[in-house]
Amino acid sequence: MVPLWMYLVVAAGLFCIGMYGVLSRRNAVAILMSIELMLNAVNINLVAFWRYLTPERIGGQVFAAFVFVVAAAETAVGLALILMIYRRRQTVVVEDVDLLKW
Amino acid sequence: MFSFFPVDFLTTLTLLPLVGAVIVFVLPKGQEKTARWLALGISLIVLVLAIGVFYTVQDNPPDTGQWVYEEQAQWFPLLNSTWHLGVDGLSATMILLTGLLMPLAILVSFEIEDRVQAVMALFLFLETGMLGVFVALDMVVFFLFWELGLIPMYFLIFLWGGENRRYAANKFFLYTMAGSLGLLLAIQLVGLTVGSFDIPTAIKDWPGLSNSADELLGVEIGKVKYYALLGFTIAFLIKIPAWPFHTWLPDAHTEAPTGGSMILAGVLLKLGAYGFLRLAIPLFPQEWILKRTLASLEYNLADVLGLLAVLGIVLGALAAWGQNDFKRLVAYSSVNHMGFVVLGLAVAALMYGASWAEQGNNTSLLAGVAGIEYDENTSPSDLSSKVEEMYGPERIEEDRENARIALNGVVLQMFAHGLSSAGMFLLVGALYHKAHTRDLRRFGGLWDIVPVYGALLLFMSMVSLGLPGLIGFVGEFMVISGSFKAYPVYVLLAMVGLLTTGIYILKAIQKVLHGPYNEEWAEYDRTQHRLEITRREVVAIAPLVVLALITGLYPKWILDVINSGVVRWFVGG
Amino acid sequence: MDINWFSADYLPWLILFFPLLSFLMIVLFTARNRIVSQTIALSAISLSWVLSLVEFYRVVWEKDVELGKEVFGSQVDWFEAGTHTFKMGVMVDPLTAYMLLMVPLACLLIFIYSLGYMRGDPHNSRFFAYISLFAGAMLTLVLADNMLMLFIGWEVMGLCSYLLIGFWFHKKSAYQAGVKAFMTTRVGDVLMLVGIGYLFVQAGTLGFREILYNEDMLSKLAGQTGIHSVLLGDALGWSPATLIGILLVIGMIGKSSQFPLHGWLPDAMEGPTPVSAMIHAATMVSAGVYMVVRMFPLLSAGVNFHNGDYSAAMWIMGSVGSVTALGAAILAVGQNDIKRILAYSTISQLGFMVAALGIGAWVAAAFHLINHAFFKALLFMASGSVIHSMEHGEHHAHEHGQHEEPHDEPDGLVMDYVAPPNDITRMGGLIHRIPVTAITMLIGSLSLAGLPFITAGFWSKDEIIADAYHGAASDPFPLFVLLALVIAAFLTAFYSMRMWCMTFLGQPRTPAAEYAGIGTGRNRWVKWWNGTRWGKQDPREVEETDRVSRLSAFQMELPLVILAFLAIFAGFIGLPEAFFGANPLHDFLAPTLLEEPEVFDFNFMPMLISMLIALGGLGVGWWLYGREPLAIGESDPSERALGPGIWKTLQNRFYIDYAYRKYIIQPAEWFAVNIVIQAIDKETIDGVLETIAELFTTLGETFKRFNRVVIDGVGDGIPEAIFGFARWFRQVQSGRIQQYLLIVTLALLAIGTLFILQLR
Repeated sequence: MVPLWMYLVVAAGLFCIGMYGVLSRRNAVAILMSIELMLNAVNINLVAFWRYLTPERIGGQVFAAFVFVVAAAETAVGLALILMIYRRRQTVVVEDVDLLKW
Repeated sequence: MFSFFPVDFLTTLTLLPLVGAVIVFVLPKGQEKTARWLALGISLIVLVLAIGVFYTVQDNPPDTGQWVYEEQAQWFPLLNSTWHLGVDGLSATMILLTGLLMPLAILVSFEIEDRVQAVMALFLFLETGMLGVFVALDMVVFFLFWELGLIPMYFLIFLWGGENRRYAANKFFLYTMAGSLGLLLAIQLVGLTVGSFDIPTAIKDWPGLSNSADELLGVEIGKVKYYALLGFTIAFLIKIPAWPFHTWLPDAHTEAPTGGSMILAGVLLKLGAYGFLRLAIPLFPQEWILKRTLASLEYNLADVLGLLAVLGIVLGALAAWGQNDFKRLVAYSSVNHMGFVVLGLAVAALMYGASWAEQGNNTSLLAGVAGIEYDENTSPSDLSSKVEEMYGPERIEEDRENARIALNGVVLQMFAHGLSSAGMFLLVGALYHKAHTRDLRRFGGLWDIVPVYGALLLFMSMVSLGLPGLIGFVGEFMVISGSFKAYPVYVLLAMVGLLTTGIYILKAIQKVLHGPYNEEWAEYDRTQHRLEITRREVVAIAPLVVLALITGLYPKWILDVINSGVVRWFVGG
Repeated sequence: MDINWFSADYLPWLILFFPLLSFLMIVLFTARNRIVSQTIALSAISLSWVLSLVEFYRVVWEKDVELGKEVFGSQVDWFEAGTHTFKMGVMVDPLTAYMLLMVPLACLLIFIYSLGYMRGDPHNSRFFAYISLFAGAMLTLVLADNMLMLFIGWEVMGLCSYLLIGFWFHKKSAYQAGVKAFMTTRVGDVLMLVGIGYLFVQAGTLGFREILYNEDMLSKLAGQTGIHSVLLGDALGWSPATLIGILLVIGMIGKSSQFPLHGWLPDAMEGPTPVSAMIHAATMVSAGVYMVVRMFPLLSAGVNFHNGDYSAAMWIMGSVGSVTALGAAILAVGQNDIKRILAYSTISQLGFMVAALGIGAWVAAAFHLINHAFFKALLFMASGSVIHSMEHGEHHAHEHGQHEEPHDEPDGLVMDYVAPPNDITRMGGLIHRIPVTAITMLIGSLSLAGLPFITAGFWSKDEIIADAYHGAASDPFPLFVLLALVIAAFLTAFYSMRMWCMTFLGQPRTPAAEYAGIGTGRNRWVKWWNGTRWGKQDPREVEETDRVSRLSAFQMELPLVILAFLAIFAGFIGLPEAFFGANPLHDFLAPTLLEEPEVFDFNFMPMLISMLIALGGLGVGWWLYGREPLAIGESDPSERALGPGIWKTLQNRFYIDYAYRKYIIQPAEWFAVNIVIQAIDKETIDGVLETIAELFTTLGETFKRFNRVVIDGVGDGIPEAIFGFARWFRQVQSGRIQQYLLIVTLALLAIGTLFILQLR
């Protein structure tokens, strides 16, 4: 059987890709997608730990399902915000949206 | 003993004007008339009480060590200071003077239209301050009232004065305040060393302290005494004002409103002289007569005081002569007249010291007073036999008798100057109020326009001049008589001042009244403002005129009281 | 206490009380009513006169005691000082009684005269108030039983003198003269005051009885060593009596107008003429002499002047009196103002009295004092009548169109200016206009000159000269006095004659003199005069006179006649013993003082001298002025004889007054203004104070700056720095979400790394 650490490596890689996306993309939509990647990396971890450590309970699966739902909602809200920003300022580049500056 | 009044009679007398001041002050706007008459009424009540004090002292002159209406209450136990009040012949005279002049000043101040309640309240407030000084028998109480008198006078000058009032008020305040600082310090030195601020106690204990036995904060007591004396003396000299501390006076007088000038000249100047009598001389018998040397010139402090007196008499008179401002002229005349007071005080200080030295058998001090030469090689027995021979008890008693005469003259002169200067300032103010100028060069030839004013001016000038038969003469005569043996040179020099007194008085009369009929002022009199003295002013000056004449012709009524005070003063109160 | 006010002991109070009361009443109540004021004043002085006669009668004749052995009087306590009780009181001794004969009478006559003279003056009431006060003060002085009460009268008289000299206060010269009189006498007065003060403390009393009638007291005062002063050393080591004597004599010099304090009296003539007659001839100026006579035992205490041993005070009096008598007589010759001649004459005659006191002849001095009062009051009032007439003549001449160009009156006192009506060179022939005045004035002038045997002036002057003559035999000092007085007496006779002749004889020299006296009621006598031997030669027309002018003429002429009578007969009470065996005045006055005056053997020499000089002076005067009276335009014979330089010097009074003004008064005023006020008070005292104030202000400024830089710098700097740092640091808040995340990530990495390292 595939050992646990392999799943974890995959998940970590996925997380790093997502993180890189969040920190370096300029497009707000791309950032949102990168966040999805990171969430998926978390999901992989959740499922992998459930299968290997406590297979007799269903907590891991439930958490993963929960994350999906939250991620969907988050994306919906995020996209709506981005749309609103775009309408106001004609841009989706995060660097231009520094309204919370000092 | 004095059961006619309740025991705390003096407190009532002193604080009554203060209570009145508060009532007058809070009267609403539009009640100016009430304020005036109420203030006058209160001051008249005080006058009645003051007359009561005077006659009580006359009927029962207090024995040595006793005071009329004496009262003593816990007041400031932390400092050992008590609320100790009492009067003797000296203070009774001054209380009478205060009580007398205040209603007149208030009556004259009816002419003030601006902030009437405040001005009336300040006058009453001032009265409390002055009466308080005269009744105080505790140094802290004395100082409290001393300072209390300063404030209302400052405001009277500052708020109701003439054109240059800010300068004058500040000069007055700073000058006297500077003196007060020294006074406060001196009072503390005495009070801390003796352990009590009670004046009779201090007079008993403080002069006897000696270098070998006592010290204050590690400083030997001789030095402490010397500086305490300086503190007292300078404060009192400023108030009197003696030369050369007099320059605040012409400015303050010139700018003060008429009523303020009357009180300032009439009573406030007397506080200084009274301070000498009550504190500065009795506390320091030795210091006044201790022989000191300055560049081989031997002197004692009483000599210095006498010298200042003579300078005040002569230079004050000369300065008055040179003035063209009527009010300044009268102001300088105060320096001249108070010089006689200081001269008498110098003699009193000398003989008080000699009496003290005689009591304590201090032969070297007595030798100094008598001008007997001695040095370290003179044996004490030689010295004492020499003193016994040249300045025995008989000679001392003779000189002391002269000093008593001089001191009687001092107090009477204080009273006389109170009357004459108040009267003169009233007259100057009466003319200034109507003519709006005090420049003597612009007057002249007014006698036909203002006959009554002219007659009053003539009379008051003669009081001020010291015409025999009027009050001014008696005091001057007694001071001159009593001082001549102690300070013949000073007295002869003072005669130059007395001569000049005549010149400036006649100058004032001449510049105002004499000369060809003055068309310019006659026109002014017809068209703008009557120049003749008003009935209210005549009422205000009438008591001064009557008293000046009666006392001049029959001074016994007041000298009995003064003399009772003087005699007990010389044996230490 | 039951007081009988009419007993001899208390009556003196009433004598001095009434004039003072009348002063008060006029001032307080009746100042607006001329008639009532005059009535009050006149009745008061009449009452005083009557009462003083009653008093005189009581003390001299009524009692069975002898005046002089006993003194009448009463006292009240005046004040107590120390253990002294000072008493005020009145007393009557022979000297006072003698003065009481003169003073109220002279005052009364002058009051009557003033009714006429001051008619029409707007300040009539005021005038009568002043002279009432004056009379009261003079009586106070005479009746006083102590030095202080005497001094009160003395100074109040000085005040009245000032007020009355400056009575016409619209005129600058008048009020200046008043001030001059007051101040000059005050020089003496203040020193006299010191003398009185010294006497008081030394003797313990000022009562005449206690001091002057008490041998022990006098020898004590003369014997003690004086005061020791630290500054003077023993320079004042004279005996108290000596020093007091000198100071009192200085007071007398001021009051009696002696050299060098004589300058005020001639200027005092600016006052109304009754004032000159009363104050500056009869009473006040002689008060100085009276005081010295009164105090003579003290002044001569400790010396025996009969043996040529004179005290310092006597030396001063002898020299000052002689110099004054002579100098003033010389000046009187050179004056053209009729009143000024009389003023110098008064100074000179007072000099006689003072010189007499200097050689111890106090009875003679008192005698001359009374006689002089009568004839000099007469002369002054007559001169007033002359001036009054001249003023009316001027007025009348003006109506006739014969008016001269008016001079401009000078502004203020000018030494050699003579007001036109007073100028004797502008008179002449007045005897035909105002004969009563002329005759009475002649009597007065002869009495002043000392016409032998029939005039009062002769007897008293003779007695002074006789006393000096007796002393002169043994001592040079009386010889000096004698010489000076003899020359002065000669000049006196000469200028009296000059004055009278120039005024009354010859032709009128101006229109004013031509019409003199018209309208004054005085020419009602012209009719009578035209009928006499002298009037026939030059008869004048007589005018109608109205009732009012006749009344005022009567009021002015009655006193003249009475005084003319006295100017002759007052002298007979003091005839030398040689004539009728007794000298009544001498015997009367002698017990006044302790020391019995010496009675000399009668010697004809001094009387011969007196006769010769009086007749000589009168003769020379007559020869120059009377034989051939001065014609119009002719210059004065004396001026021709002396030359214009000396004449001008005389008219300018030896320039003494100029010198006083220039070297004393002006420098003193300069000193007062420039040194005392400016240099001392303003610059030095206020300068020091202002420097101190300046110093404190500067110090305050410095503190203020220090506050701003250092204290405020620190206080403000800390928040400033925090603020600046925050300003810089807030840039962290870029608003870029990725930056934040990056930082969070890095921080987490760092923390994680540390954590891991920690776990190791």
